Order: sequence, then C-alpha cells, then structure tokens
Amino acid sequence: MSKSLQLKEEGNKHFQAGDYIGADGLYSKAIIADAKNPALYTNRAMARLKLGHWESVIADCTTCLSLSPQNMKAHYYLAQAQLSIRDFDSALENALAAHKLCAATNDKSLGAVTAMVLKCKKDRWGDREKKRLRLEREVEERMLDLLRRDRDEMLMAEESEIERRMIEEEANEKIATLSSVFEAARTQNQKKREVPDWAIDDISFDIMVDPVITKTGKSYERATIMEHLRRHPSDPLTREPLSASDLRPNLALRQACEEFLEQNGWAVDW
Amino acid sequence: MATSMRTKRVAKERQKIDKFGLPPGIELVDGNDLKEWLFDIRVLDNNPLYNGNVYQLKFVFSDSYPIEPPEVTFVDRPARPVPMHPHIYSNGIICLDLLGNQGWSPVQSAESVCMSIQSMLTSNNKNERPPGDEEFVRGNKQRPRDIEFLYHDNTV
Repeated sequence: MSKSLQLKEEGNKHFQAGDYIGADGLYSKAIIADAKNPALYTNRAMARLKLGHWESVIADCTTCLSLSPQNMKAHYYLAQAQLSIRDFDSALENALAAHKLCAATNDKSLGAVTAMVLKCKKDRWGDREKKRLRLEREVEERMLDLLRRDRDEMLMAEESEIERRMIEEEANEKIATLSSVFEAARTQNQKKREVPDWAIDDISFDIMVDPVITKTGKSYERATIMEHLRRHPSDPLTREPLSASDLRPNLALRQACEEFLEQNGWAVDW
Repeated sequence: MATSMRTKRVAKERQKIDKFGLPPGIELVDGNDLKEWLFDIRVLDNNPLYNGNVYQLKFVFSDSYPIEPPEVTFVDRPARPVPMHPHIYSNGIICLDLLGNQGWSPVQSAESVCMSIQSMLTSNNKNERPPGDEEFVRGNKQRPRDIEFLYHDNTV
C-alpha cells in the first residue's frame, strides 16, 4: 500500500473514533504524499464538516471536483458547508447535483441527499421569507409615515376648526385602512399552510423532490420507493412485481412540487 | 437516514390523527413517543364474541418503518384481554399477512392496520385459537413478524 493510502486508512480510524482533528491532520499528510487522489479531499472535507470549518470544506470539495467533476460526495459536502454559511443558492445547486448523481448510480445515499435538497429549499425559502417580511414592514412604516406627514402639513395650513377635524378624521381613516390591509396580508399568509396531497410521498409522508411514477399511475419519491424496492420488488399498492427499471420520472409533478416549495418552504417540516 | 424516516413518518401519522381523528371503535390511548403506540379497539357490530369488550393493540415502530412493518400485538391485561380468534395466539401475537415482511406495504399506516384488525375481528365467528396455540405460546421466542411468515408459508 502506498504511503498516502496508509495515511488515509490511519485517518479513517481517527475519524471513526471521533477524533476529527487527528483525522484532518492525517488526511492532510496523505494529500501531501498524493495530491491527485479525489477521495483524500472528500475524506478531509468530511472531517472538517464535523469540525465546522466551512471555508476549508468548500476549498477541499472544490479541489476534488476539479479532479473528479462527477464526485457525488464532494457535491454533497459542499452543499452542507454552503448551507452553513448561508449561501443558499449554491448549496441547493450542489445538493441537486449530488441528487442527480445518486439517482443515476442508484447510490444508497439517495435518501440522505434527498433530505438535504429539501433542507436547502426550506432554508432558502426561510431566508427569503424573512427578508420579504422585513421589507413589507419597512414599506408599511414608510407609507404610514407619509400619510401622517401629509396630514400634519394639511393641519398646519388649515385655520378652521371644522376643516381641521375633517382633515384629521379622513387621514386617520386612511392610516387605519393601510394598517389593516398589511395586517390582512400577513394573516392570509399564515393561514394557507396546507400541503396538497399530490405533493406528498405516501411512503415517507414528505413533500416530493424527484417523483417517479409506477405502472399504476401513482407517484412516489425516488429515494423512498427505491428503499422499498431494495427489499421487496413489488408495487406498494397492488403488490404486483415492480423493479427500479419500471420507474419513470414524473416531470410535470416534479415541476409542480418545485414551484410549490418555492413559495411554501415551510412545507418541508409539515 | 432510516431513523429519520421513521421519526418523521410516525410524527406525521400522529399529526394526521390529531387533525382528522380515527374511525369509530379505534382510539389512540398512548401515542406520545415515536416508537411505541397503544390503541384501544372495539368491534362495532353485535358479534357475540367481542360484544362490549375493549382490546388493546401495541405498535412498535422499528427504525426501518415504514419500509418494514410495525410490530403489532394485542396486550394481555385484565381489562384488556386478548380477543378470541383463529389467527390470534393467546399471548397476543397476530397472524396477519399484512404484518409480515411479505404482505406489508409502506403505504399502509398504523390507522390502516387497526382497521384491518378491526375488520378481521368483525368478520370472525369462530370461538377458537390457532391450531397449536398452547405449544406455540410456550415455545415461541421469535419476533412476531418472523414467525408469521413461517406460519403462512407452512399452512397456506
């Protein structure tokens, strides 16, 4: 065995024992001995993920992908690190790349990677939602402020007590209307939290990321139906023989689920 | 991964029950943890074998649930006896293909299993235990879902 592989094995032992700092050091030595082995970078990235060294995880995964562009683990770890530093768009992109590779190779990590795609979508939505709500409040306050200022200016210019009262009443009504319109929009947004059945996988009860359709016309999440087929090659509804090669992606449903999640990231935790 | 599928799925079944309730005669009496649930179950018609009795089903969800079936047995307590049925052993083990590895499907749920067992009781009119009950109850050390399998393969 080469020096580099020996160091890698040693690093794996430290990793399994929970000594991530030790593992990181050994993988680094292995990389010095052989800078061209992609697995060394993903192993070190995994140790660094555990240590929370996000930037160096990103660096390792990027190096790995330049050596081996179709590396599923590199995309997967990259997505985790990017999500931790709140780079949501890149995280989702890499989670989807990992998902595609898993689906193509029937990799056992498909379930975990599917969960990661959902988490990226949820967090990205949560971030956007927070920004949107903040902006809405800013707009509301600014508008209310303008109405009040408008009212005060008019009051300043008006002498007659009756006129002044009319101005005041009219302005207050406008202010109340504006507030209630914004308030209504906020509660409306909270109320509609229901996930439609068509978006839900009947095995995991999660919203689907990559629905595949069976002969019966029913769709399931690819990761969960694959998990089922590994043990029982049968259709969950009819128990008729069913194999992975019978499954077809349901592209229209995939698109619909994507669009739903785009607007309703909370649905991941439904 | 398997673990998280089980916890999430069981939690969602729980949410659904809280929201939409359960069919008549089925009641969740303990569903607080995501590993083990207890249901009280009654037969709704006047079947003299079960009339007026309440039975209790124990569900144990393994980490592979719902890819693998839950382990479902009748509890045996003074107030909650094991119902008399040619497919139910006197120690509470139920012989139902749905609960075996072969007959199970991951689109089933705790609720659908309760309904199947309820209808299995409703349609029964034999006041008897499975053949070899005494011997089985004395000797059995296996887990329910592994035995069921054998029983079916041997007799059906």
